Amino acid sequence: MKWCRVKAFFISGLKTTFRDRASIFWVFIWPIILVFMTAYVFIPPSVGQPLTLDMGVVNYDHSEAPFNGTAFIEVLKIIEYNGTKLFNVRVYEDEDLLLGDLTKGELDVGIVIPSGFGNNLTFSQAKLKVYVSGGNVYSIQVNRAMVSEFLRRFSIEAGLRKVEMSLRYMNMSYVPSKIPTQGPWGDIGFLKFIRNYMLGLVEPINVTIIEKVPEALATRPAVIGWYVIGALGMMMLYTGFIIGSTAIVEEKERGSLDRILSTPVKESEMLAGRSLAGLIVLLLSSLAIVITGVYAIGAKIDWNPLSVTDWLVPLNLIMIGLMTIGIGYMLSLLARTSRGASSMGTTLGLILSFTAGVWFPKEWMPAPMRVLADMFPITWALDTIRDIVVFNIGLGEALTGTVRNVIATAAIFAVGVIAYKKTLRKYAEL
Amino acid sequence: MVNLIGKNKVGGVRLRALLVVEGVWKRFGDRDVVRDVSLLVNEGEIVSLLGPNGAGKTTLLKIITGVLRPDSGRVLIKGLSPEDLKARALVGFCPQEPGLIDDLTGLENMMFYARLQGLDGKNVVKRVEGLLKIMGLSGDMGKLVRKYSGGMKKKLGLAATLIHDPEILILDEPTTGMDPGVRREVWRIIQQEKRSGKAILIATHYMEEAEALSDRVYIIDQGRIVASGTPSELKSKYAPPSVIEVELYRLPENADATLKDLGLRYTVHEDKLRVHSSDVDRDVPRLVALIHENGGAVKILRVTEPTLEDVFLKLTGRGLES
Repeated sequence: MKWCRVKAFFISGLKTTFRDRASIFWVFIWPIILVFMTAYVFIPPSVGQPLTLDMGVVNYDHSEAPFNGTAFIEVLKIIEYNGTKLFNVRVYEDEDLLLGDLTKGELDVGIVIPSGFGNNLTFSQAKLKVYVSGGNVYSIQVNRAMVSEFLRRFSIEAGLRKVEMSLRYMNMSYVPSKIPTQGPWGDIGFLKFIRNYMLGLVEPINVTIIEKVPEALATRPAVIGWYVIGALGMMMLYTGFIIGSTAIVEEKERGSLDRILSTPVKESEMLAGRSLAGLIVLLLSSLAIVITGVYAIGAKIDWNPLSVTDWLVPLNLIMIGLMTIGIGYMLSLLARTSRGASSMGTTLGLILSFTAGVWFPKEWMPAPMRVLADMFPITWALDTIRDIVVFNIGLGEALTGTVRNVIATAAIFAVGVIAYKKTLRKYAEL
Repeated sequence: MVNLIGKNKVGGVRLRALLVVEGVWKRFGDRDVVRDVSLLVNEGEIVSLLGPNGAGKTTLLKIITGVLRPDSGRVLIKGLSPEDLKARALVGFCPQEPGLIDDLTGLENMMFYARLQGLDGKNVVKRVEGLLKIMGLSGDMGKLVRKYSGGMKKKLGLAATLIHDPEILILDEPTTGMDPGVRREVWRIIQQEKRSGKAILIATHYMEEAEALSDRVYIIDQGRIVASGTPSELKSKYAPPSVIEVELYRLPENADATLKDLGLRYTVHEDKLRVHSSDVDRDVPRLVALIHENGGAVKILRVTEPTLEDVFLKLTGRGLES
């Protein structure tokens, strides 16, 4: 193999790519747009923060009770969760006006506080009428869940206060002699026993819900990091497929293949030059995506040049590049025109991005579809990269994955090389 | 299959054949595109493959350069098969489409093809610049090829063919689409290459090109070589005689008797005389002398010689443009 012949294809491949506006768009601009969309559309800054619902309230309650409709509205106005207000409250004169705005989609939730609400809350059982806006299935579920949970908690809190008030006025002489104040809980005395009993009436089960997410994905930057690697994988899929599938047909269309085949260049030199140029384009694009991800949208991608494990990342990137180009060479067997090859590469790349666990986590997919993701070696290599830069796995685990990826790459690229040579020979046998 | 190497003598002088094609066949589907073609090209010789579009010229050139494989027959480039990379290094092939990369500059295209020939470095850049100067493209070598005119692309394609100074040049329709001025410039370059000892095979459908450049011509039709020889041999063998048209101030006395002495077919119409001649060099002086001797006076004399187009018409019953 003579280097200057490899260099000829390498340099021409790079120059033609970087001088073609369409290539620049698909290889650099589109993945960067995708990265920004990841941060601001798919995982907007509000993710992880409570929603704030637009709430309309009509208050028909003018009772003298200490906690009446007016006090309830004040609570609604100030209630927060994790520093975020839960409701933007707008007070309406009557229910019709409230319903009008609700049906226009200007409100997420409407509450009607009936007359006597305060007195009933203090001495009996109060009622509330709640309207939930039904723009779409997702929003109706979210609005309903939020307002229901708030009212459930509020109701329990009100019940607990009523228990405290009731105990304050309880006459000790009413203590029945047969009430057991001793038990597994020890001798806690009558009042405490009654208090606990009444708390149980208000809230029979006190549930504690603890949110537990993987430490590495616990933060928004980590989630973005996961998707940035996905964007990189998506770009590599369609770009690598296009580079491989158009390699021969493009030369054929511009008439340079005849001239090239008449020179003393070997198939292996053509292949090495083209693959190297394609690989460099893919790696430069990956670098642009990662830099944009880390510095422009704050993705958590940890890479330390002093860590041996982290050096497996570029190695796995090279593996992905070679696998996609190799599959592209296989597609070249089917390609008749460069436009057809390009469309085939893009379509297959995008389909696999969404179905093979590249862009969407494979856990989101139905079980039968996960089989593809589990068996797709490009997803293996991407997951190895994610494991290293997002989940910070150790060298041993990373090395095991990488060895498997190297074997898969060697197999796929070898088949690609055979397909490439077959395509060339098919042309010569025409 | 014909053994051409043993027959390679002209006028008793044994020539050095650099390219030999023997009994080559090529079939696409159920159509024979090249049928039992044999030809040879000697060192320092320009040979044309003349035929209309679709005659099989391009396919034959692709077989000769190793781009396509023949179904049967063989091609030898200095005794080597075109599939041998050493043989390919001896050949410079300029396809009909110049095969340039639009997104590279003229210089970059030249460097691309130089590297494919195994050449790199500063000396090659100098040679590239020299070739571009010869082609008149020095001022445009930094421009992207997509901005080149068709003629410029053809010239750049030819320059790329010469980059490794090959012993054999295979040129497919080298001047198609060029204006007459550029065409003559390219002819001059091709003749210059011939003088340096290169064997040159040109596929063309321009009979003027074949006549102007070729030492020998192979006429190809429907994949088969239908005739070969020097242009004058072909014309004398297959073309109708030349026509000598003479406009006279006055007719010679007793014109009929006078002209009969020439032994040529002729017609006289008023003051115009039309004579058919198979040897113009011999008959024109005889005719002029006879007219003068018999009191006639020549106003205008015009000779219409037969062309290779006439040869092709005679051989196939069709014109070259059909």
